[in-house]
Amino acid sequence: MTDPDLLTVFTRILRDLLGDDSIVLAMSTRRNDVDGWDSLMYVTFIVAIELELKIKYRVADVESFETVGDIVTEARTLLG
Amino acid sequence: MLFNSHEFIFVFLPVTLAGFFVLGLSSRNLALGWIVVASLAFYAWWRPINVLIIAPSILVNFVLARWLLRLTADKGRAGLARLVLLLGIAFNIVFLGYFKYANFLATAANDLVGTNFVLTQVVLPLGISFITFQKIAFLIDVHGRRVSSFTLRDYGLFVLFFPQLIAGPIVHYREMMPQFQQARCRWDSENIAVGLSLFVFGLFKKVVLADGISEHVTPIYEMATAGSEITLFPAWIAAIGFTLQIYFDFSGYSDMALGLARFFGVRLPANFDSPLKATNIIDFWLRWHMTLTRFLTAYLYNPLVLWLTRRRMARKLPGLGGRTPSAAAFFGLLVGPTMLTMSVSGLWHGAGYLFILWGLLHGVYLSVNHAWRLFGPRNWSNRETYDKFMRPTGFVLTFLSVAVAMVLFRSTNVGAAKELLQGMVGLNGISLPQQIHAQLGPLQGLLQSFVTASTVMSAQEFVLAMAWLGVLLLIALLLPNTLQLTARYEPALGVLSKPAAPLSLLRALDWTPTAPWAVALSALAIAAVMRLGGKSEFLYWQF
Repeated sequence: MTDPDLLTVFTRILRDLLGDDSIVLAMSTRRNDVDGWDSLMYVTFIVAIELELKIKYRVADVESFETVGDIVTEARTLLG
Repeated sequence: MLFNSHEFIFVFLPVTLAGFFVLGLSSRNLALGWIVVASLAFYAWWRPINVLIIAPSILVNFVLARWLLRLTADKGRAGLARLVLLLGIAFNIVFLGYFKYANFLATAANDLVGTNFVLTQVVLPLGISFITFQKIAFLIDVHGRRVSSFTLRDYGLFVLFFPQLIAGPIVHYREMMPQFQQARCRWDSENIAVGLSLFVFGLFKKVVLADGISEHVTPIYEMATAGSEITLFPAWIAAIGFTLQIYFDFSGYSDMALGLARFFGVRLPANFDSPLKATNIIDFWLRWHMTLTRFLTAYLYNPLVLWLTRRRMARKLPGLGGRTPSAAAFFGLLVGPTMLTMSVSGLWHGAGYLFILWGLLHGVYLSVNHAWRLFGPRNWSNRETYDKFMRPTGFVLTFLSVAVAMVLFRSTNVGAAKELLQGMVGLNGISLPQQIHAQLGPLQGLLQSFVTASTVMSAQEFVLAMAWLGVLLLIALLLPNTLQLTARYEPALGVLSKPAAPLSLLRALDWTPTAPWAVALSALAIAAVMRLGGKSEFLYWQF
């Protein structure tokens, strides 16, 4: 999967979780940029990605992601 | 030796700094090695046997970490690496458990099953809880490939650096070692000026403010321990007084630690940021003992929540957050991990039932705060009016919650805590010092049915205690804190100045190396030095 493909999947997942179809994620998006995307929803979002893509992030990485781009890049690495 | 002792300030510190600067002229390695030697001497000062206890544990951790470093470089040995990590964590927990909790576990077993185990009193090495957490964090960071290389000297320096050895902040290798590796190891006027100012601020907070209020708080707790009934006013003086005592004690220690590290050109992470100004309990924990919160969040709470969320969502159950959170997810993914983390925090502070209760109570506070955020009124008509009403309400609730919990933290037994809490809600009656009661005039008749005259506190003691509370509350709540005052010079890692409003107190008091500040700090230093000499340990040094 390419980065734009992953971004599309991520956007769909977050829209479903937050019930907000206006969300558009970019590589530079941070949690603070999206209304309602708090630390609790962040963990739910990460696990939803894991289930969708059948990957598993490392705990240490989950804590250190700062942008959506970081999550996308690591997903691409894990997907091989 | 204590930071607030003559031998530390006038002998140990000057000799250590002189050695560091002189050795730094020829070699950074020698200067850094000197810090390790000085830190060992500092640690050995109370009881040399402390070094014999802690040194082997440092060596074991070093060997395990080196092994882990080799294993993590080889992808095929991930399983063994994980095993070594678990072994290292287990070793540290058992080490801490033996020295800190053996006596408590024996007592708890006796209480539970009526046995009569007696353990010889195990000597608690100073700062063991801080040192152990730091060593665990290091092993996890090596396993997580956030540390790529280290020597025994580097590791020793990281664990033993005396400014933060006994009571934190709990630091990460990756934030400390680059600083040591780039340290100039030379006299630097700015570092000395900033370091000295932070140290004086801290010393004043500790020996003048914290020790000052403790003289009014300790007798009330001693009376409660002895089983005396504590009435409404003394109970509140004790509860709020101790909250302010530990606030200035820990804040003072944290400032001194920042200042001492800065003498060596090193910035420690911030550990204390005006927690009593917090307007909710989540905010309080982001400001009080910040590096402990960071440790527990990163290494216990987050992994636990992630693990539970994975299990839950794999069963097609919803996770937590968003606009329609379920109560089951809230309890399973938030309340449970929060209560567990806070009870560990309580137990970390001390081996006793009251510390665990203190942690659990904070767990309840945090859960209520999260519940309010998730389920509380979201659609307040106007954000401005919401803030106008909720911020002061939140501040008062937070302050009172913290003060009530501190009664559990400070009380030496359950009976004392019960007396004080009963007193705070008026169950032990209301009394005023006899001399004040006699001055009530016409009110005396009106109040006589529920306000009695007491000889427990004199009028002078009562008024003085109230005055102390008033002054300390004003300082804690209205003045800018040390980090804000010195922000222009990055007093702690990543703490930088933000633009202050033109007519603000912060702008007026902004610290710079000027004559007025030199005079003010000299006055604080003189006031502090005149009170040196008492054996007044920092409250957090017992952990």
